[in-house]
Amino acid sequence: MNEIFAEYKWIALFDDLDIFIEGFITTMEVAVCALILSLILGIIFGVAGVLPQKWVRCINRVYVEFFQNTPLVIQAIFLYHALPHLHIMLPVTAIGILGVGIYSGAYMSEIFRSGINAVPKGQMESGLSQGFSYWKTMWYIIIPQAKRMILPALGNQSINIIKNTSVLAMIAGGDMMYVADSWAGSNMYYGPAYLSIGIVYWIVCFLMTKCVKRLESKGEVGQHGF
Amino acid sequence: MKLSTKKIVSVATLVAIAAFGLFATGCGSSETEKDVKSSADSSGAVIQKIKSNGVLKVGCKVDVPLFGYKNPDTGNIEGFEIDLAKAVTKKIFGDDSKVAFTPVTAKTRGPLLDSGELDMIVATYTINEERKKQYNFTDPYYTDPVGLLVKKADNIQSLKDLDGKTIAVPQGATTRKAVDEAAKKAGISVKFAEFPTYTECKSAIMSGRAAAYAMDQSNLHGYVDDQTVILPDSFAPQEYGIATKKDNAELSDYVNQVLNDMKNSGEMDQLLVKWKLKN
Repeated sequence: MNEIFAEYKWIALFDDLDIFIEGFITTMEVAVCALILSLILGIIFGVAGVLPQKWVRCINRVYVEFFQNTPLVIQAIFLYHALPHLHIMLPVTAIGILGVGIYSGAYMSEIFRSGINAVPKGQMESGLSQGFSYWKTMWYIIIPQAKRMILPALGNQSINIIKNTSVLAMIAGGDMMYVADSWAGSNMYYGPAYLSIGIVYWIVCFLMTKCVKRLESKGEVGQHGF
Repeated sequence: MKLSTKKIVSVATLVAIAAFGLFATGCGSSETEKDVKSSADSSGAVIQKIKSNGVLKVGCKVDVPLFGYKNPDTGNIEGFEIDLAKAVTKKIFGDDSKVAFTPVTAKTRGPLLDSGELDMIVATYTINEERKKQYNFTDPYYTDPVGLLVKKADNIQSLKDLDGKTIAVPQGATTRKAVDEAAKKAGISVKFAEFPTYTECKSAIMSGRAAAYAMDQSNLHGYVDDQTVILPDSFAPQEYGIATKKDNAELSDYVNQVLNDMKNSGEMDQLLVKWKLKN
């Protein structure tokens, strides 16, 4: 244990800090863009999953079942190694954003779908019976109630997105995990490298949890139960 | 009410951090005690301990033909390095079957030595200054230059043609540094993409993600096929040594002695000829 965290290894780490900062920036870029993408996909497909039209719900199922039931690593490797053979050469950051975004979008859409579905059926029926249109009932009556169910799960999934960006390490993505792998691989000072980035991931995810908690209290989650 | 939750959270965080710290130092101190103990009753003790374990735990490659390669037909691991490890085993036990091979990659061999999982690494492990700080190396038993594997269709003739292109290298190997230096000398600039496995490096040149795969030539011979070619360029000879744990100088000396005896007796040359590494 001592030799793994020897002092000279830490000094070497601080000498190369700029490489790690670059990796951190890439990780954050990918995480933020993937989060936005997954939210958009989540809303679109989540709502598609509760619509009365069967064929729309079917699209939701295909998307969710496909991306939820295959490992992210395989999806990333496919995008990176296989697509070029079909003459589609996506830059690696784009693969990170698309890969993680689309993958997480499937989880997000399940969160939205189940959140909306959890609102009792009577709410929609009473909204319609009061002369609201379907979308108006959705917006004014269903969504505000579903929000309380959705937000905490959304927070969890956002944290997963940050951690899932580490899949880029498999495909030379230049993110924080890749940088640590590469740096530790070249000099075998893996102790400080992995411990440090582990702490950085922890801090970022912890701050994210805090933000979501704040959103939750603003959205009065957990204060008006059903 | 709100304040108290906050307090609880901060206290819990502190406790978690403190517990982790204790755990880390705890592990550290127990480790040092062990070190002191093992160096105290050293003379022959390390070899004795291996003997009482009944097996020599060796990390080897399984994907480098001629060095350490799992033969898909027989399922056996074979190669020059495998025979070297067996020779050391024979010296210790008088029987070369008492060796347990564990496949390692460039990335895992260091940690596996550190954790004590393996006694020694015979896995095309290049000796360099940074590694010598952490592990004991024997004298080199083989020297292998770095080469470049490219796709025939790309029409690359030499290192110079790779200006501005991406080169795939495996993580945890010394190749990146070697190629970087050679590129600077040639007055060109190249980018690198590192992958966890050799297969992914090969895959990267086949998909056009990288223009070349740079690795020790012995390794490249395992990945060349009818669509690819190894360039005539070769640079930065890599010296392979057998690595052991830093605090285990005794084992390193012992293994080095075995290697030297083999070199002097001509047994080493015989093995090199057997594996077509020498004419």
